[in-house]
Amino acid sequence: MTRGVLRTGHNGLVSSTSPALRPHVTVHRPDLTKVGVIVWLSSELMFFAGLFAIYFTHRSVAGPEVWTESSGLLNIPFSLGNTVILVSSSVTCQLGVRAAERFQSVRTGSLLNLAGWGMREWFALTYLLGSIFIAGQVFEYAELAHEGLTFTNSTYGSVFYLATGFHGLHVLGGLIAFLFVLVRSFTAYRFGHREATQAVVVSYYWHFVDAVWILLFGVIYFLR
Amino acid sequence: MSAKNKKQVEVQPLAPEWKFFILLAAFFALMTGLYAYWSWLYFGSVEPIGTTALTLLVGLCVLSGGYLFKLSREIEVRPEDDPHAEQHVAAGEYGHFSPWSWWPLICGVAVALIFLGPALMQWWIAGIGVVVGVIGVAGHVLEYNRGPHAH
Repeated sequence: MTRGVLRTGHNGLVSSTSPALRPHVTVHRPDLTKVGVIVWLSSELMFFAGLFAIYFTHRSVAGPEVWTESSGLLNIPFSLGNTVILVSSSVTCQLGVRAAERFQSVRTGSLLNLAGWGMREWFALTYLLGSIFIAGQVFEYAELAHEGLTFTNSTYGSVFYLATGFHGLHVLGGLIAFLFVLVRSFTAYRFGHREATQAVVVSYYWHFVDAVWILLFGVIYFLR
Repeated sequence: MSAKNKKQVEVQPLAPEWKFFILLAAFFALMTGLYAYWSWLYFGSVEPIGTTALTLLVGLCVLSGGYLFKLSREIEVRPEDDPHAEQHVAAGEYGHFSPWSWWPLICGVAVALIFLGPALMQWWIAGIGVVVGVIGVAGHVLEYNRGPHAH
């Protein structure tokens, strides 16, 4: 390893030392991309804290009549089904991460052989489940608007659409992120550490959005 | 004079980092309880805004601290963890950092347009912003997958 001594060009003398003084070639460090994403997600939690605070404030101020009347419009079995779809998309996402961590971007066997699936197949399935969730939410909004719950005509409506809508936008952002992970895996000649890291951090985000939905769902549909 | 010749101090990787966040989490958990109890004594009901915000503040600290704790079990001791380490030990690869890029500027312009639209009640401006945003984000994300950087 004489590279460190020979390379005297761009910052060569500053960033490299002679091999005798260096016990390890590289230090095993925490992945900065992953740490950064986790720090960002913890700040995202505070964004949702604002939405939860709006919800609880409204619940304590508006009074029980307004509350029971409006929240009675919610279609709980439908939303429960939608929630199950979102939670299962987290499972398929994690299976995609497993594939990415063994640097397998594409399936080995036939499409029906789930054990041979690569990251692309699992992420495509996750994308599909995520889009079904969004479609379900749009359908739910349309039904509620039809029954007279809109953003402007009731305070409950404002709070409901604000909280679930911002969550829906996050899911939409996650879907776009999945597209970019897929595009990047197609543009890379070799599926390596960079591609795997991208898949992992997008899965962190997806699990976070999923966990926030479980909280929102519990609060809006069950706690009321 | 290299670090390995010295007597190794018992060091844990990332220990100050995760302990810092977990201590904060414990502090905020205590404050959340105190706040909820105090507001209940004072107003007769638990005050919802502060209690929710403080609870999720605990979540903020637990998320960062918990992740760092998990990492501390997975990585080896870094030179930064050793109080007697020397600077040259930390030399080497730190990761991939873009030296410069125009794409964040384009993303910024896109966000500015997206918010300018509703502010002026001219939603078509936000539409242009979305298009610029798609171009900006795609360029930013794929910058090191194209041209001379293709790998």
